[in-house]
Amino acid sequence: MSFVEQFAAAARNSAATVERVPRTAEAIASAVERLLPPGARVVVSDPRNLPVELFAACARLPGVFAERSRSALAAADVGVTEAFAGVARTGSLCVEVDAGCTGYASLLVRLHVAVLAEQNIVERPGDLFRADRLGGEGLRRNFVFITGPSATADMGPLVRGVHGPHQLHILLVRGAGTASSPPAQVLA
Amino acid sequence: MTGHAPGPDSPRAVASKRDRRNLLAAIRMALRVESAAVRHNTQTFNRGRYAAVAALPDYDALKDRARGIKELSIKRLPELVTTLEASVKHNGGCFFLAPDATAACRYISDVCRAAGARRVVKGKSMTSEEVGLNRALEAHGMEVAETDLAEFILQAADEQPSHIIAPAVHYSRERITALFQRVFRCAEPLDTGEALTVFARERLREKFLAAGAGISGANFIAADTATLVLVESEANIRMTSLMPPLYIVIAGVEKLVPTRADLAPFIELLAASGTGQPMTSYTSVISPPLNHAPVLTAGPAPPPRQFHLVMVDNGRLKMRDDPVMREALYCVRCSACLNSCANFQTVGGHAFGGETYSGGIGGAWEAGTRGLESARFAELCTGCSRCVPQCPVRIDIPWLNTVLRSRLAQQDARAPGVLGASPQKQFFGRYDAAAKWASRLAAAVNAVSALSITRVALEMLFSVDRRRLLPRFAAHTLRESAPRKPRAAAAAKRVVLFADVFTNYHSPERGLATRRLLSAMGVDVVVSDPSPDGRASFSQGLLDTAAVQARATAALLKDYLDEGRDIIVVEPSVLAMFRMEYRHLLDRPEESGLLAELRARSFDPCEHLWRLLQERGLDPAGVFPAAGDPRVNRLFLHAHCQQRTIGAAAPTEALLRACGFDVVSSQVECCGMAGSFGYKKEFYELSMAVAEDLFAQVRRAERDGPRTLVASGTSCVEQLQAGFARKVFHPMELLAGMVQAGAITEE
Repeated sequence: MSFVEQFAAAARNSAATVERVPRTAEAIASAVERLLPPGARVVVSDPRNLPVELFAACARLPGVFAERSRSALAAADVGVTEAFAGVARTGSLCVEVDAGCTGYASLLVRLHVAVLAEQNIVERPGDLFRADRLGGEGLRRNFVFITGPSATADMGPLVRGVHGPHQLHILLVRGAGTASSPPAQVLA
Repeated sequence: MTGHAPGPDSPRAVASKRDRRNLLAAIRMALRVESAAVRHNTQTFNRGRYAAVAALPDYDALKDRARGIKELSIKRLPELVTTLEASVKHNGGCFFLAPDATAACRYISDVCRAAGARRVVKGKSMTSEEVGLNRALEAHGMEVAETDLAEFILQAADEQPSHIIAPAVHYSRERITALFQRVFRCAEPLDTGEALTVFARERLREKFLAAGAGISGANFIAADTATLVLVESEANIRMTSLMPPLYIVIAGVEKLVPTRADLAPFIELLAASGTGQPMTSYTSVISPPLNHAPVLTAGPAPPPRQFHLVMVDNGRLKMRDDPVMREALYCVRCSACLNSCANFQTVGGHAFGGETYSGGIGGAWEAGTRGLESARFAELCTGCSRCVPQCPVRIDIPWLNTVLRSRLAQQDARAPGVLGASPQKQFFGRYDAAAKWASRLAAAVNAVSALSITRVALEMLFSVDRRRLLPRFAAHTLRESAPRKPRAAAAAKRVVLFADVFTNYHSPERGLATRRLLSAMGVDVVVSDPSPDGRASFSQGLLDTAAVQARATAALLKDYLDEGRDIIVVEPSVLAMFRMEYRHLLDRPEESGLLAELRARSFDPCEHLWRLLQERGLDPAGVFPAAGDPRVNRLFLHAHCQQRTIGAAAPTEALLRACGFDVVSSQVECCGMAGSFGYKKEFYELSMAVAEDLFAQVRRAERDGPRTLVASGTSCVEQLQAGFARKVFHPMELLAGMVQAGAITEE
């Protein structure tokens, strides 16, 4: 099994949803748009790893707001961020928390949509602590491994959606040079 | 949300175990109120852990690496603290090393007051529980909101944690509903986990947005970069570290590792060993303050972020100087030792725990941070050893508890008006001596011990519970019954059957079956003289006696080893002494060779037979044709706890299956008898409550017809007999009757 397949299977096991999309701004924006509930307030956090242009079309979606005050971010329903790495074995995303509002956009919302480039999937969590993986980015960034939506078993049965997102959707984008790949497809 | 005064039977009232009466009251309370929820939750974690670590292809290598990093970190601790301080300051934060609880509380209160923070949100932190931080902050007029949902429950109930990672593990959904309706006076039904979660989330979201300070603990801290690892699933720690302008972390100094790269094995092991997930929902890896995430405000100019790291000593550096308790500093607080413990699964940490820390590892922590007397609950560690293979940093937790019991016994013996160890400890600890004399008058002793007057006397003198059947003494011991060596001169295999106390005096038939069976396989078997192996005294914490006995037994067996004989040990708890505990007793440098020989060349009878069959290429089903008779080939096999830990249970099950038996195996960690534990009056109810899981599994397995009960351990046999009042067989007894003489070929 490739890292991508392993990642998608493990992420689904953690109750995330996974979708593979072409590496174009339009494809990402239309995938996000399909997920938006009517009237949703959406915060889009610019990527630092992927080219900023890839998120440009998202910024024009209905409901997207630019205000960065406490009241505005606390009222957001959907957050779109990048994930600079993924972990095949556990289906975890690595999202920066100390880069503009990425931390908030992945935390305060009910639905977190994370965009991950397939070539940034490593085998295991420990790879984020190695200088020879991802150019050592994992050793330098302030980030969080995100594995599924927030959850608790403290109230008896397992409940998904506690202080953080209730739902986690992962958009896997192909590596550079595959911009003309077929339309969005859901992994089997 | 203020707590109500604790009633005499509330968890808070029995939190301190300095007084042994609190321990016994806590057990009664836990069995009555908390047992069902604790059992369900811990057993769910336990099953999850087995699955999660099985999915780690390099589990053992990860454990070795984690252990190595911890050993090195504790060794270099003072130097790492200095490095950490520089790293925190380099990142723009403040650092404080708190020598004790009072200093930690004072520092944090001062920081909050200086920042004008009136409202504080907190993530779960056992260290803050240890130092009593909430009370200190509230005394300064601050409002403290626990935001981990389990801690939110405990704050509402005014109770101490009952588990180190799931502090409200003793609460069922129904009890949470009742609690919330009472404390928050809410009219909503709150009758589902979702409704309760939404209720708490909404209350706490407001607190997060209004908080002036956030306080959390940390799972690991890398000294070189001041990087924190924060493991959680609810996202309350993410909120705590990100939302307020002031973030304070309080953690014990033992959480330090040298470098950020050293965090890797712990991140892969922690969740798997704890909740049994590959990863929890969120594992933050951050070096605060998070200067590039602007503090959210109503206005346009965000204040600068502030970060304070408070490292707590509070007894830890003393633990570091204690050659035994130093091991506890390696603990990563995963809770595997709690979840894999049969006693813990049955009563939880309000009984098997102190004011903060609980479970097998909790004794060392309460002793280290509060004082030896606070570790009295370590009595609930029976030494079953099931936690040992589960610990990701390979701490010998039963050994810590044995030493704690020994130190407590010594301290108690020095108390005014007390002479030596308690009569109960003396009785169980020197059981071999009693058995030796009783056995000479077996018939009379058996008759007398059945008398109710005897049981009353035993209960009064030694607290031996009168509801327990006492093991009967055999008319002839194993040593007396075994023929004096008519040696098969040319035998290729030669062994000595060790006449352990239990087999020799109580169950010689198990030893005789073993001798007969191995002889039929062409093995030259001699039976040793009986010798106390030290297990009984070891388990009572009488370590000097245990060492003397261990040395005598080792000397006895050395002659046989030198003759080229391997050692067969029928009683698994005795075999476990040789393989696990003797390293603590035979601790002189010149004893290391004999110790290694004993460990490598002692075998459980089934383990030995399984090897023999494989070496000779014999099909077990040919030698022991069990498949033939469907009336007798249905078994329920219960593996002894220590037998499982030392790896002797798997060959037993493999052998029986290979013979063609239809085997259902018990899935419990321990039967609850655990040597003398279940005989003690004060622990009888707990022992039987633990056994209920095993009994239920037998009943389930027998829904489609009866099964023969099979167990290798004496304690397990007694416990199963207490439940089912019928003969329980040793595997050797089953097989000895079946040997097909013609099927065995000599080498």
